[in-house]
Amino acid sequence: MLAFELIVQGLVQGSIYALIAVGLTLVYGLLRILHVAHAGLFTLGGYFCVLITNLLVGVLPSPTGSFAIAVILSMVVVGVLGIVIYRLCYQPILDKPPYVALIASIGLFIAMEELFRLVFGPYGISYTNPPMAESVEFLFTSLKQAEVLTMLGAIVLIGGLAVLASRTRLGVAWRATVTDPEMAQSFGIDIIKVRYLNFFIGSALAAAAGGLVALLSNLVEPTMGSVPSYKALAIIVLGGLGDVRGTLIAALALGVIESFGTIYLGDILDRDAIAFAFLIVVLMLRPQGLFRSA
Amino acid sequence: MTPLLDVRDISVSFGGVHALQDVSFQVEEGELLGLIGPNGAGKTTAMRVVTGVVTPNAGSILLDGNALTGKPIHERVRMGLGMSQQIVKPFRSMSVLDNIVLAAGNARTHAPIAALFMRDRSAERGKAKALLELLGISDAAGARPAELPLGYLKRLEVARALALEPRVLLLDEPLAGLNHMEAEKLSDTIRDLNRNGTTIVLIEHNLGEVMRICSRLFVLDNGCTLKTGGPAEVMADPRVRAAYLGEGAANAETH
Amino acid sequence: MEYAITLGILMGNSVILALSLNLISGYCGQISLGHAAFYGVGAYCAALMTKAGIPFAIALAAGMGLAGVVGVIVGLASLRVREDFLAITTMGVGFLFLGIVRQQDWLGGEMGIYAIPDPGLGKTGYLILTLAVAAAVAVFSLYVKRSWMGFSFDAIADDEDTARMLGIDVSRYKLTAFAMGTAIAGLAGGLYAHDIKYIGPDSFGFVESISILSMVVIGGIGSVPGVIIAAAVLSVLPQWMQFIAEYKLLIYGGLLFAVMRFSPGGLAEMANRAIRRWAREKTA
Repeated sequence: MLAFELIVQGLVQGSIYALIAVGLTLVYGLLRILHVAHAGLFTLGGYFCVLITNLLVGVLPSPTGSFAIAVILSMVVVGVLGIVIYRLCYQPILDKPPYVALIASIGLFIAMEELFRLVFGPYGISYTNPPMAESVEFLFTSLKQAEVLTMLGAIVLIGGLAVLASRTRLGVAWRATVTDPEMAQSFGIDIIKVRYLNFFIGSALAAAAGGLVALLSNLVEPTMGSVPSYKALAIIVLGGLGDVRGTLIAALALGVIESFGTIYLGDILDRDAIAFAFLIVVLMLRPQGLFRSA
Repeated sequence: MTPLLDVRDISVSFGGVHALQDVSFQVEEGELLGLIGPNGAGKTTAMRVVTGVVTPNAGSILLDGNALTGKPIHERVRMGLGMSQQIVKPFRSMSVLDNIVLAAGNARTHAPIAALFMRDRSAERGKAKALLELLGISDAAGARPAELPLGYLKRLEVARALALEPRVLLLDEPLAGLNHMEAEKLSDTIRDLNRNGTTIVLIEHNLGEVMRICSRLFVLDNGCTLKTGGPAEVMADPRVRAAYLGEGAANAETH
Repeated sequence: MEYAITLGILMGNSVILALSLNLISGYCGQISLGHAAFYGVGAYCAALMTKAGIPFAIALAAGMGLAGVVGVIVGLASLRVREDFLAITTMGVGFLFLGIVRQQDWLGGEMGIYAIPDPGLGKTGYLILTLAVAAAVAVFSLYVKRSWMGFSFDAIADDEDTARMLGIDVSRYKLTAFAMGTAIAGLAGGLYAHDIKYIGPDSFGFVESISILSMVVIGGIGSVPGVIIAAAVLSVLPQWMQFIAEYKLLIYGGLLFAVMRFSPGGLAEMANRAIRRWAREKTA
C-alpha cells in the first residue's frame, strides 16, 4: 500500500533528520548559536564510519560487527571534535552579537566541505562490503535492514538522551544550565563541562546519522551535509528552538511530509523547498513554532 | 478634575500567579506620585502594564481621557508617556548626547519616509544639551555609555525620557544602585522637575527619599492595593509597616 | 581591455547588491540569509519583460518594484517571528523562491531564461551604467545614514525594545528597510540579467545569499566604504585567483571564519583600529 510505504520511508528519512537536528537544538538551547558547521560533523562521521568499517572488514569476519565498532569509534572521535570546535570557534565569541557566530559557523562549514573534497576526493567513498543490505518484510512493505536500523538507532539514541536528561544528575545539571546558567553556576554546576557534554552528545549523534546514511545509500560524499544543514535549521525552528522532544517530532513529521510532498506537490515545488514551505506556513500560523519553546 | 493618568481595575496573572489584582490608581496633573511596596509587590508589573510591555487580563488605562489599552508601546509614547527603566538601557552605539537627541527628535522619527528627508539635528542638539545641564551630566555629552558609571547612566535614562516631553513621566527605580549622596541628588532633581510642572510617577524602593519628595504615595502589596495617601499618613498605617517588616521599615525610621 | 570591462561590471553589480543588503542587515540589524531571492525576482521580472518587447528602462524599474513588493511581503512575515527565527525564515524564503522557479516552465525551469535582449548600450556603456548606479546607491546609503531615518535605524539595530520607548515604530522602519534593500537588489538583478543575457536558478541560491552577506559582514556591517571595498574585492577574487581555483572555496570559508573570529567588525573595524593606533603613536 503506497501510503504505508511513503510513511515508512518518511520515518526513515525523518530519523536521520532527527539525529542531526537534535544536536543542533541542543547547542541552540544552551548557547543561542545556530551551529551550521554541525552538518560538517555529520559528513565527517559518515567518512570515519565508512573508512573504519572498510579497514576492519579484512580483519573481522562479519561486516555488521565491523560497522558496529566503526560507528561507535566514529561517534566518539566526532564527539570530541565537536568539543574542539566549541573551544576554538564559539567560546571566544560568545559575547558578540549572534550574527558573528552564525557567519563564523557558515565559514567553517564551507571550509570543512572543501577539506573533505580535497582530502577524500570529490567522488565520495563507499562501503566495500555493505553491511545490513538484506531486506526484511514488514507489514505491507519490505525494508532494508539498514532502514530498520536507522529507525531503531534514532529511537535508542534519542530515547537514551531523554533518559539521561531526566533521570540522571548529569541531566539535571544540563537542564538547569539551559534554563538559567548563572543560577546553575551558583549551585556549583560547572557550566563549561556541561557545554562540552552538550557538544559531545550532539556531535556524536550527527556522526551516527552520517554512518547510517552511508549504510542507506552506500555513498558518502563531501557535500552531503549541505541540504541536511538547511533542513535541520528549519526543523529546530519548527520544534521550538532548544526543545529536544519537539525537534524529534518535527523531524519525523518533515520526513513524512517530504515523502508525500514529492509525489503530490512535485509539480509546484522541488523536494528541498517543501521543508521551507512547511516551515513558513507553520510560522505564519504559529510564530512560536509547532511547540512552545522554553 | 479628570486625572491625567487613570488606571482602573488592572489584573495580571502569569500561569496561575496573580501578579496584580484589581489595582486602580489615578495620577493628577502636576503630581509626584510615589508607587511603593515590598519586593515582589507588583510595582514593576504595574508600570509595564501602563507602558504596554505587559498586557493585562482585565482593566483599562486612560491617559488624558484616551484609552491606552491595546495600543503598542511606541504609540503610547507618542500619546504622552515617557519612561525610564530600572535596568538602564542606553544605546551603546551612540554618545550620551545622541541618545537624548534621538528622543528629542521623536516628532521627526514618526514616519520613516518623512524621516528620510530630514537631516538637521541642531534644534534637538540644543534641547539635549539643556537637558544634560538640567540633570547635571553635561560633562559626559560626548562619552559612550560603556565608559560611564551607573550614576551617570541613571541620569541619562531620566534625561532621555524627559526629552520626549511627556505628559506623564514614569520612573522605575531611578535611585536603585546609587550611593546615598547620588540618590539624594537625583531625587532632588526629580523633585525640581516636578516643581517645574512635570507630572511624575516614581516607583522606588528607597523609602527615605520617596517620603521626602513625594506629595502622595500609593502602596502595593502582593499585587493588591494596600493604601493611598500622604507620606506620613501612609507610613503610619500598621498594615503598611507590617508589609515592609524586615525590609524598608528600618530606612523609613531614619527619616 | 574587454576583460577589464567585464570585471568592472561584475564589481559594480556586487557593490550594488552588497549595499542593498547593508541597508537591511547593516543599518537596521535584520540578518537576511535569503537576499539572493530578491536579486532573482528583479532579474527574472526584467528579463521576461524585455523578452516580451518592453523597453529596458521600464523593465528595470518593474523588476525593482516587484522585488520591493515581495520584500515588503517577506518583511511583514518576518515581523511575526522572533528575532532568532529571522535568519532561518529568510533562508527559507530563498529556498522557496528557487523551489518554485525550478518547477515552472514559463520561468525557464531548471534551464533558466536564454537570449535576453541586449539593451543596446555596448559593453562600455553598460559599464558606465552599472558604475553610475553603484555610485548612486552609495550616495543614497550615505545619505540615509545621516538622515533621521538612519538615526532611527541605529537605535533599532542597537536595542529594538528601547527604540520603541522613544516612540519609534520599529515594525514600520524594518519594513521600510526591507523595501528599500530588496528593491535595489531587484535593480541589480535586472542589470545582471541584461549583461550576461542568460539567467538560471543556480545564480540565485543560498550560496549567493551567503556570498552577499559575507561582503557586508567582511566589509563591516553598516559601513558603506567597508562594504564597497569588500564587495569589489570579493567579487573578483575568484577571477584573479584562477591559479588557486582548486582552493578558492576553502580560502573563502576560512576567510569568513577568520574575520568573524578575530575581527567581527570587518574591514571597517580593522581600519579603525589601525587609525587609532597610528594616532596614538603620533601623539606619543
